[in-house]
Amino acid sequence: MKRRILRVCVAAALLATTVLTGCSSGDPESSGTDEGAQGEAIRIGAVLSLTGSYAGLGAPEKNAIDLEVARINDAGGVNGRPIEVLIEDDATDAAAAQAAVTKLVDQEGVVAILGATGTGQTMGMRADIERAQVPQVSMAGGSVITDEFSKWVFQTPWPNRLVVPFTAAYLEGLGVTKIALLSDSGGYGADGIAVTKAMLGDFGIEVVAEETYNAGDADMTAQLTKIRGAGAETIWMWGAGSEAATVLQNWNDLTGTELKRDDGIPDIIGAPGNARVELIDGAGEAANGFEFSAGRILLPESYGEDSEAFDVATDFITRYEAEYGSKPDIFAGHAYDALNIVVEALQRMPEGDIDPVALRDEIEATTGFVGIGGTFTFLPDDHNGLTENDLVMYRIVDGEWTLAEEAQ
Amino acid sequence: MGAPELLQFALAGLKNGSIYALVALGFTIVYASTGVINFAQGEFVMLGGMLSVWAYADLGLPLPLAGLVGVLATACVGIVFELLAIRPRKDGDPLALIIITVGGSMLLSSLARHAFGPTERALPRFSEGSIQILGASLERQSLWIMGIAAIAVGVLSLMYSRTRFGKAMRACAIDRNAARLVGIDPKWMVTVSFALAAALGGLAGLVTTPLTQTAFNVGPSFGVKGFAAAILGGLGNPFAAVVGGLVLGMLESLSVAFISSTYKDAISLVVLLLMLFVRPQGLLGRGKREKV
Repeated sequence: MKRRILRVCVAAALLATTVLTGCSSGDPESSGTDEGAQGEAIRIGAVLSLTGSYAGLGAPEKNAIDLEVARINDAGGVNGRPIEVLIEDDATDAAAAQAAVTKLVDQEGVVAILGATGTGQTMGMRADIERAQVPQVSMAGGSVITDEFSKWVFQTPWPNRLVVPFTAAYLEGLGVTKIALLSDSGGYGADGIAVTKAMLGDFGIEVVAEETYNAGDADMTAQLTKIRGAGAETIWMWGAGSEAATVLQNWNDLTGTELKRDDGIPDIIGAPGNARVELIDGAGEAANGFEFSAGRILLPESYGEDSEAFDVATDFITRYEAEYGSKPDIFAGHAYDALNIVVEALQRMPEGDIDPVALRDEIEATTGFVGIGGTFTFLPDDHNGLTENDLVMYRIVDGEWTLAEEAQ
Repeated sequence: MGAPELLQFALAGLKNGSIYALVALGFTIVYASTGVINFAQGEFVMLGGMLSVWAYADLGLPLPLAGLVGVLATACVGIVFELLAIRPRKDGDPLALIIITVGGSMLLSSLARHAFGPTERALPRFSEGSIQILGASLERQSLWIMGIAAIAVGVLSLMYSRTRFGKAMRACAIDRNAARLVGIDPKWMVTVSFALAAALGGLAGLVTTPLTQTAFNVGPSFGVKGFAAAILGGLGNPFAAVVGGLVLGMLESLSVAFISSTYKDAISLVVLLLMLFVRPQGLLGRGKREKV
């Protein structure tokens, strides 16, 4: 018995040592070179979901940040100083995101925080951001991020309060009066449904059915059967994960129409969270005819070929593709915007020590910044800075993204 | 609600239920030889899908061969997992083993994240299109899932009741030492049961991936549903696992039909809890008779 206790103690001690050394050696991954720029690096923190359920979003965000840091430093950095982005993984966990902020601000002395990847993680950081008085530029799309206003927090994706009126106006233009709502019960779907129900009153559209599914559900035929019986003209889906592809497949199997009808109304309409190639890969034929709103990056020509935005986007897409072998998605674009908004603000500041409070004021003064997600103009009461003009409606045709307006 | 709609709900329940049943069978196999719940079972489902996609998309093998590679590779992972993580715990303390399987599931999903990347991957269907039954429709891929679940339960039932090997496996769970006394090597039996459970989990992953896609993090949701199905039916009996899976699938589908999709998981959970209070041995399980 004694020997057993001894063994347990030894094991516990070993474990404790590994955990402790694990912590002390767990320095954040740093992305930065000092070629081309001299002087002490300006440190920026980034909290991304590199593991956990949002890992598919965090990975392209990290790629975009690495790519941009190298480009900025090669071009001389900011006022002659290189920048260094310290990336922390929050494992798609709000508590880990909060811990990462504390570490980045208190121990690493960063002047701004990029991220988090998800809405829940972004909100989990709020108290620490306000306590530390450091500006934060989030890459998450939840409306709550800028609706629950904080002077320290900015946001680069299109929030649902822009997506909803854009999509509702589009549906109204098609003559749709009755819709069904189908949503992921998680954060993205819940935010989307809440905003949709709050804003639909301004449009002549009635909700005749409302169903949900959970992350990881293997089949939504039951929900779709119920919706089908309710007499909706189209299904407005709020879900970003792989389940969206399952919904399209289930609907196709149920109705056999491949979402193609003569009246030009899509059977299912989605949201920017569906702007992923994985949706097309997963749903295959069943994705044809599916429509969703998102920014213009999926088809850069939609920026207008003579525009500055077109040049910015094609330059980014070309460099990203050369480095990583695949086209950037909207999440890479959100990270590009977040980093470059901060870098632009830094460039407008006088040389010398960077004061996070002054940096916040400078970020808020961002006017007409042409990024990937759109053209950003922040105001003291608008920390998203985008408009409905930065969105377009896409339709999937033969496994490719096309502009819905042109397809009609 | 018309008859075709009701039938459609029933078919949706059957389809989901067959998936749960396949996962539940894996729990049953390990439980039958060790008396332990293997919480890494969901990860075997994930690995079956992931390794098949890897063989199909990355190695370029034809689909049937890729599926075979996926299932066999998952079985190998099951064997390695047993040899490295379960076997060293010689006393077979169930609580310790259960915790080891929880840790193993985290390890497997992290490894899959690093080996295959963070995004979901897809596999083509084995058979395209759907069939129409009295105004309701069912995709042919679901027939594969139902068929494989039916074959698996048939083979396993026969194995446990008719073959020496199956009886030896059951003997190990009832009493390790007594089994050893009659010349059965329990260590070997446990390894085989993990291989079988992993192969079956892999098969479940292979047949469902064309409908749901797969990713490194799908394991826990399969695991939870399969575990619930196994408990509902009664642990340790393959036929009960399938009944549990089908009942769970039907419950969810009918909850959507008559109550609301928001509450479908809550309703199945309440039924599961009631079952544990009223009939802890499950729908078809036999109560444990402790002899003094």
